[in-house]
Amino acid sequence: MYKLFLKIATRYLLKNRLYSFINIFGLAVGTACFILIMLYVNNEKSYDTFPGSENIYRAYMDYLEGDKWVAGDANSYIVTGETLKENFPEIRNYARLRYFTNLVLIKENEVFENNKGSLADPSFLALFDLKLKQGNAKGALNEPYSIVLTESLAKKLFGKEEPMGKTIKLFNANSPAFTITGVLKENNRKTHIPNDFLVSFSTFRAWDAFEGDWEYTWNQNVYYTYLSLAPGTNTVQLQQKIKDLKIEALPYERHNIEPLEDIHLYSNKPYEAQANGSVQRVRFLFAIGLIIIILSWLNYINLSTAKSLERAKETGIRKIAGAQKPQIIMQSLLESLVLNGIAVAIAFGIVLLILPAFSVFINQDLTFGIANLYQALPLFGFILLGAIVSGIYPAFVLSNYTPAKTLKGKVQTSPMGLTVRKGLIIGQFFATIILIVGTLIVNKQIRFLKEQPIGADLQQVVALHWQVLDVAPDADSTLVSGIKTFKDKLQNLPFVTKMATANTFPGGRYEDLGSSAGIIFPNGTLDEKRITYNYAVSPEFFELMDFEFAAGEPFKANSRGSSNEIVMNEKFIRFMGISDMEAAIGKTVKFWEQEWTISGVLKDYHHFGLKTGIEPIFIRYSPSADNILIKLNERAVTSGGLAAAMTQIETTWKELFPQSTFNYTFLDENFEAQYKEDKAFGTAFQIFTALSILIASLGLFGLTSYTVVRRKKEIGVRKVNGATVIQILSLLNKDFVKWVSFAFTIAVPVSWYVMNQWLEGFAYKTNLSWWVFLVSGLSALLIALITVSWQSFKAAIVNPVQTLRDE
Amino acid sequence: MLLELKNIFKWVNSGGQRIFLLKDINLSIEEGEFISVMGPSGSGKSTLLNVIGMLDTFDEGEYHFLDESVHTLKEKYRSNLYKEYIGFVFQSYHLLDDLTVYENLEMPLLYKKYKGAERKAMVADMLDRFNIVGKKDLFPAQLSGGQQQLVGVARALIGKPKLILADEPTGNLNSQQSEEIMGLFKKLNEEDKVTIIQVTHSEKNAAYGSRIINLLDGRRI
Repeated sequence: MYKLFLKIATRYLLKNRLYSFINIFGLAVGTACFILIMLYVNNEKSYDTFPGSENIYRAYMDYLEGDKWVAGDANSYIVTGETLKENFPEIRNYARLRYFTNLVLIKENEVFENNKGSLADPSFLALFDLKLKQGNAKGALNEPYSIVLTESLAKKLFGKEEPMGKTIKLFNANSPAFTITGVLKENNRKTHIPNDFLVSFSTFRAWDAFEGDWEYTWNQNVYYTYLSLAPGTNTVQLQQKIKDLKIEALPYERHNIEPLEDIHLYSNKPYEAQANGSVQRVRFLFAIGLIIIILSWLNYINLSTAKSLERAKETGIRKIAGAQKPQIIMQSLLESLVLNGIAVAIAFGIVLLILPAFSVFINQDLTFGIANLYQALPLFGFILLGAIVSGIYPAFVLSNYTPAKTLKGKVQTSPMGLTVRKGLIIGQFFATIILIVGTLIVNKQIRFLKEQPIGADLQQVVALHWQVLDVAPDADSTLVSGIKTFKDKLQNLPFVTKMATANTFPGGRYEDLGSSAGIIFPNGTLDEKRITYNYAVSPEFFELMDFEFAAGEPFKANSRGSSNEIVMNEKFIRFMGISDMEAAIGKTVKFWEQEWTISGVLKDYHHFGLKTGIEPIFIRYSPSADNILIKLNERAVTSGGLAAAMTQIETTWKELFPQSTFNYTFLDENFEAQYKEDKAFGTAFQIFTALSILIASLGLFGLTSYTVVRRKKEIGVRKVNGATVIQILSLLNKDFVKWVSFAFTIAVPVSWYVMNQWLEGFAYKTNLSWWVFLVSGLSALLIALITVSWQSFKAAIVNPVQTLRDE
Repeated sequence: MLLELKNIFKWVNSGGQRIFLLKDINLSIEEGEFISVMGPSGSGKSTLLNVIGMLDTFDEGEYHFLDESVHTLKEKYRSNLYKEYIGFVFQSYHLLDDLTVYENLEMPLLYKKYKGAERKAMVADMLDRFNIVGKKDLFPAQLSGGQQQLVGVARALIGKPKLILADEPTGNLNSQQSEEIMGLFKKLNEEDKVTIIQVTHSEKNAAYGSRIINLLDGRRI
C-alpha cells in the first residue's frame, strides 16, 4: 500500500512541476537558511565550553561612576585570585593570565610575527581542561622561562623537528632563552582568549623586562583572573559576597564575576582579550532563522491546502473504494514527507555548497557533517517535526472531504479553513514587514556611522610599526638615531607630506591606550574614581590628523626634549567642571605625582569609534613613540599606487634595520574595521530578508491559486454579467490588500520596538524615521499585489464559457 | 432481501424553510434485481442513490442493509459495510488520473487488505474478463470514454460486491458505447446475479432493468 502511495506521490509531484518546484524550492531555501543560521548560532554559543567549563568564572572589576557601579574592566589585579580564594572557600583555585598580542617569536634567525600568548599560572591548564600532547602537564609551567606551544605553532616553528627542549626567544633577540616544556593538544575549541603559547607565570618575577610590575599589587590591573568554583556553588550568593568584599586600596572599585561560557556573547568591557561576539546579533539571527523556516512551512501548508482542492475528487474516489480517514491522512503525510525529504536533501546540498563562502563571510570556521552530527541531530529533529506538523493540516483538510460532494465538484470551503489561511498570510506579511524594516534600519545605521564625522581626517594616513630585534637594551641611542635617519629619509620621499609619532591613533586598540584614575583638578579637587585615557604623540600629530582645537594649541617640547604640557579633549575639561574651554588653557592639573599644564583643548573626536561614547582623554608629549604616522598625498595614490609607495618605505626601513619586523596600518581601513561585523550582519540581514520575501511571495502565490480555483465560477458569472477584467482584479486583490494592511499595523510597533533595542547597542544612532515604516509597508504591499495579480489576471481573462461549462 | 428503506426523509434548511430532498421513501430491494431510478432533474435520484450507497446521511427513517440497520451505525462501520458489499459507477467515471488502468483496478483492493499475489490475480482476472489487458499500463486520459467507463465498471466489480450503484453510467457516452455498457450490466445481472441500481434519464436504458422507480420532488410516484 505504501509503495503505491509513494508512486502516486512521485507521479503527482512530477505532473505538477510548477507546484512541486515552488514548494520544494521554498522549503529547501528556508531549511538551508535555517541550517546555516543555526550553525552560526551554535558556533557562537560554543565558545569556551569544555568538561567543567560551567564551574569556571572570570573575575573583573566594577568601577563606581557617580553612585552607580558599572562593569569597568575585564582585567583584574595580580592579587585578585589569591585574595578571593582566601576569602571564599567555594573558590577552589584560580589562574592568572597576562595576555600579549602581536608578539614576535624568534627561533635562531627566523622571526615569527603576530603571535598571541600569555604568562599563565600552572593551574591554567587544569582550569581550562587543556591537555598536553607532549610534556608533563604538572610541571610544564612551573619553572621560569618555560614555554608551552600549541600544536599548530609548534608545527609552524619546527615542522617535523622535535620541539621539546628546544629554545626560542620572545620580543627580541636579547630576551632570555625560553625552553619548550610542552605542546598543547589541538582541541579546535573556540575561546574568547586565543593563545598560541603559554609562558610560565614565574617568568614574570625572574625576568627584568617586567621590571617592578611584580610589586604592584593593587595598582595595576592588567591580568585576567579565572576562578574554579566547587560544583554546586550558589553563584548568585558568591557573586554578591565578592561584590561586597571591600579592598582597602580600591575604594572606588569592587570585584565581580561572570561565567566563562558567557564571556564571548555577553561581555563587552574595556580591555577584553579580543572583540567578543554579540548576543544580540545571535538572537536576531536566530529569530530570522526561525522566521524563515516557519515561513516556508506556512507556505507548504498554504500551497498544499490550496492544492488539496484539486485532489478532493481523488480523495472522494478513494473513500468510496473503501479508504478510511487514517489511510487518507497517512497518504497525505507520506507525500509531505517525500516532498520535505527532497527539500531537506536539496537544502543540505545548498548548505554544503554555500558553507565555505558563508564561513569566510562571517569570519568563522563553520563545519557541517558527520563530525558535528551531535550538533545537527536536534536540527534534524526540528526539521522532521516541522515536516510532520506542516503536513498534518492539509492531511486533515483532505481527509475531511466527503465523497458525495467532492464527486459532484462541490468542495466545501469551511470558514474555519479560510480563517486559518488568512492568519497564515497575515503572519507571513507581519514577519516580512518586520524584516524589511530591520534591513532598512540596519543599513541606515551603518551608513550613518560611515558618514558621521569622527573629528579627524584618517584618509591616506598610515601608521608604521616595527620591532627591532637585534638592538641591545642599553643601545637605545642607536635605535633613536636610526629612527631619526629613517624619518629624514621618509621626509624626502615625494609622496609623504606630513609625519608624526604616536603610540596610538583614533580607532587603535584599547591596550595601546593608557588608562588611569586619580587626578587633581585645577581647582584643587581630587577625583579618584573616574577612569581617563591617555596616549603620547609628537606635536606634529595634531596637524597630521587634522584635529580641531577648541582652544589653545599643541604642546611644545622644552630644551631638554621633554614637556609637561598636555592636550585634553573637551570631555575631559567638562569632567573637571570647566565649561569655558579658553579658561582651561594654562591651568595646571596634577597626576602621576607631577604637574601638567593644559596647552590646548581638542574638540571631541571619536577615538573608540561610534559604538562607544566619548571618554575623557589627554594626550601628552613623547618624541619617540611606537608608531610613525605619515600622511600620503595624491601622488602616492596615482603614481604606482599605495602598494608601491609602501614597498618603497619598507625598503628604506629594512636598509637601516635589517634585523627587524615592519608592519603598517591604514588608519581609515582600521577605523572601518570595527564595523566589519555590523556590515556583515547588515548583509546577512539583507540576504535573509530577500529570501524570506521570496518565500512569503511563494506562499501568497499558492493562496491566490487557491482563491482563484474557489472563485472560478463566481468570476465566470460576474463576467457574463458584464464585469471588466479590472473589476475582477480588484475583486480578487481587495482581500490581500486588507490582510497586508492588517499585518502592517501590527508589524509597525513590533519592529519599532525591536529595532530600537538593536540601536541601543550603539552610542551614536540613526533615528527610526517614519518613512522607513512607510517604505516597508508599501513594498510589502507591492510585492503582494504583483504576486497576486499574476494569478488573478490569468483567472480574470479566462472566457467564462469555459468555467461555466462544467455544470 | 438485500435492503429496505422505511419512511426515509432527507431535508435541508434554507431561508427558514425546510426543503425536502427525499420525502417518505419506502423501498425494498431483493437480491438479483436490476432497478432503474427515473425522474426529472432535481427529483432526488442521485440523493437516493447516495443514501443507498451510504455516502450521504438522511434525517428520518430506517435503512436496513442485509441484517444491519444502517441508521444506527457509526460512520466507520458504515464505510466497512459499503466497502464490502457495494460498488459504484459514475457518469464521469472518476478514475484516478495519476494511476494506470492496472493501478486503478488494484486501488480498492489495497483498502481491503488483500495480499499482493491475490490482488495480482484479481486484477488480471478483471482485465481479462473486460478485454482490456492491452490497456493495463495506460492512464485514463489515454482511453476513450467508453473504455474509461469499462474500467470504472471493472473497478466497481473487483471487490465482488453484491450491489452496484450506477449514477447515469452512460451519460457521457455515445449510443454505441452506451449499448455496450448496458449490455454488460445486463450480463452481470443475469449471469453473476449482481444486484444493480442505476439512475438514468433514458427510457431505452431503463428498459434493461427489471423494475423502474419514478421520483418527483423527492417522492416516489
